[in-house]
Amino acid sequence: MIHLLDCKVLSNDEVAPGHRRLVLDGKAIAEDTCAGQFCMLESSPGLQPFLRRPMSIERFGGDSFSVLYKIVGEGTRLLGRIQPGDTVNVQGPLGNGFSIPKEFKRYILVGGGIGIAPLPGLAQALIRETGTPPEVILAARSRDILLCQEDFTRMNCPVFLVTDDGSAGMHGFASNALEARKPDKNTLVYTCGPMIMMGAVHRICMENGSRCQASLEANMACGDGVCMGCVVETTLQEEFRRMVRVCHEGPVFDSRDIRWNTGTPAHD
Amino acid sequence: MTEPSLHINLGGLAMKNPVTVASGTFGYGSEYGHYFDVSLLGAVTVKSLSLKPRPGNRPPRISETPAGMLNAIGLQNVGIDVYLKEKLPYLREKNCTIIANIYGYSPEEYAELAQRLEKEGGADALEANLSCPNVHDAKNTCGPALVAQSPQRVKEYTETIRAATSLPLYIKLSPNVADIREPALAAQEGGADAVALINTLLGMNIDVETRKPCLSNIVGGLSGPAIRPVAVKMVWDAARVLNIPVLGMGGIYTADDAIQFLLAGATAVAVGCASFRRPDAALQVIRGMRDYCIRHGIEDIQKLTGALRLQ
Repeated sequence: MIHLLDCKVLSNDEVAPGHRRLVLDGKAIAEDTCAGQFCMLESSPGLQPFLRRPMSIERFGGDSFSVLYKIVGEGTRLLGRIQPGDTVNVQGPLGNGFSIPKEFKRYILVGGGIGIAPLPGLAQALIRETGTPPEVILAARSRDILLCQEDFTRMNCPVFLVTDDGSAGMHGFASNALEARKPDKNTLVYTCGPMIMMGAVHRICMENGSRCQASLEANMACGDGVCMGCVVETTLQEEFRRMVRVCHEGPVFDSRDIRWNTGTPAHD
Repeated sequence: MTEPSLHINLGGLAMKNPVTVASGTFGYGSEYGHYFDVSLLGAVTVKSLSLKPRPGNRPPRISETPAGMLNAIGLQNVGIDVYLKEKLPYLREKNCTIIANIYGYSPEEYAELAQRLEKEGGADALEANLSCPNVHDAKNTCGPALVAQSPQRVKEYTETIRAATSLPLYIKLSPNVADIREPALAAQEGGADAVALINTLLGMNIDVETRKPCLSNIVGGLSGPAIRPVAVKMVWDAARVLNIPVLGMGGIYTADDAIQFLLAGATAVAVGCASFRRPDAALQVIRGMRDYCIRHGIEDIQKLTGALRLQ
């Protein structure tokens, strides 16, 4: 069920340079969330910025939930100033989360930058459903923004680091690290991160006969299937399935359904 | 004081309050059903319906702007058949008053949509969208040739649709004109029961880092609180020369915004992209308008239409 709540801020701490975790009091949202779903946050009570910000729900359970965000524009800059005790209006949980089909032998999570946010929750769900901690590839530009590493190690997930500048783990991209893990036809890959990274992850999966679920990001106005603003182009043939809404049919898609040479820019 | 009457009549359509939603900002009604009882609205205006489903424009389709947004959706919609079969039952079951927004490529297509909607009980009133800035060739920066930009064509289209239906007929006009009174009067002469204004203002947003336009369509339609003063002024201009009522819209976010439109001459109002920000925005506007009436001792909200004080 979707809720529209004023949530009290429990904390809003920096987790890496330019990155924060906002923890909100909101039992109803925490209870109804599945891994991979998102929420729409008001970054200001005023009219500027006008639109809510879509954010993956990171941790959820008990009475609270959290989002991870990177400060890139006006909305996230305002969010960064929010203090414990303030309230933030939240709409959620929204969209379709990850699904966990049981027929695979290996599950690999590939997160890039701030796109790591929904993956700890997914790892937890995979452990619950399959009994085995999934392999995790954590990618970032450099070592100081490799997020959530401790969440995965705490769950006993084998973690493989990869950085663009080689400052931690493998020197290269997420797709190189995935290729090195040798995924096969019994592997299901879950990915969330920049479109260009997910496109490369998708390609590696196709080359190795693996399946891939990708969680997409898009600019959104409503977050709830109404405005038709967040669509991506698909490979599907039916006329009215050529464009699908990231918020409503997604944000998680079978990577084969997405036309990867186009895409939408990241939200600020 | 006694409960104020919020009832109005918009060109032959009885509404329990003067608030509807702007087409394209409320889906087909059911999308907002988990936030509030949508039958509390004066009417639900559905997303533009065309004869065939439309896939819409390529992404990116929206871009945020100061106190508003640009969109170039391109009228993505399910088409009239799916609407009648899958979307309409929800609205009828909830006992909603329905305004169907229609879009066609010719007067005859509009007429066919109007006829089918009337015959199959798909609407209680029709709003003909003669003013979408995001279809045709919006890449023509001289301005797309919107029907609503030509008073002559507005009259012709209105006459053709009018002849096809006895439902209340509203003509939705574009603010992208020099003088809104001309297309408004043309709609009236063509037999419209009301005019709806304004549609979005043409606008453009550029990402200076990439030097690319923020929309794939390059230009799009501006909406949100930023455009409200423009819309109120156009309602004021049009209402003074028309004998038919005005459905006012453009940037309404609060009840006070809606009251401005009534004072400027609107009989009813539509809440647009405010619903994206606050899914229950239209309901809050209704509640706030009622409170305004109580606070000002107004027994009948119809008394506010055109009640601007110039002295």
